[in-house]
Amino acid sequence: MKEPFITIVSGLPRSGTSMMMQALEAGGIPALTDNIRKQDEDNPKGYYEFEPVKKTKDDPSWVSAARGKVVKMVYSLLYDLPSEYEYRIVFMQRALEEVIASQKKMLQRTGKQGAQVGDEKLTELFKAQLIKFNHWIANQKNFSIISVNYTDMIALPQLQCDRINTFLGGILDTEAASATVDPALYRNRL
Amino acid sequence: MAKIKIDSKLYDRAKKAAQAAGYSSFEEFVTSVIEKEIAQLEASSEGEDAVADQLRGLGYIE
Repeated sequence: MKEPFITIVSGLPRSGTSMMMQALEAGGIPALTDNIRKQDEDNPKGYYEFEPVKKTKDDPSWVSAARGKVVKMVYSLLYDLPSEYEYRIVFMQRALEEVIASQKKMLQRTGKQGAQVGDEKLTELFKAQLIKFNHWIANQKNFSIISVNYTDMIALPQLQCDRINTFLGGILDTEAASATVDPALYRNRL
Repeated sequence: MAKIKIDSKLYDRAKKAAQAAGYSSFEEFVTSVIEKEIAQLEASSEGEDAVADQLRGLGYIE
């Protein structure tokens, strides 16, 4: 029997990855999370994070237990994943201006320091990183990827969940997944 | 002054390109190309650092 693949929700921070995690979990894919990072004003429905993903380069032992589950990872950590597993990546896309504005707000609220460059430069840097990432992932035999636009997910969640369900091989309860998207919570949210 | 060896075909192409671009000498052209490449690599490294700072500040990497 073929080993189950690992579903990964990825993207830039503040691109809707937590929203997608919530949808996929509701749609029947168990989420690998530790609930260490609690819900707050920035993510009222929780972060759906799993601390060990940050140490994947040094200790990828958690990956085996992620088969058949969904885990959230920022795009830059995907380079560290071991090659012996199959990964299906649900990659969130959101306008970079919105992403950076939202990141800025989050950094301000938490009192943390981010990059010491202007918004324009940061936009350029993220663009360059995503080009590099897309080039890399296109050449990985054990990765497949679907892009989901943040705005589309809010406006037409059922349609997006149908696309994701096809990508994941029909394992998703699309009605339950799409029902988690609360337009009032996400629309125009930074 | 240091000397380097390059493929003769590449040398011919580079010499033609330097002349077409208006460089006063082949040495000036090579120096300019190397400086630009170094600046790009340094900028790229600074960029990686800046992005890492941003992701770290947001709590997504360590």
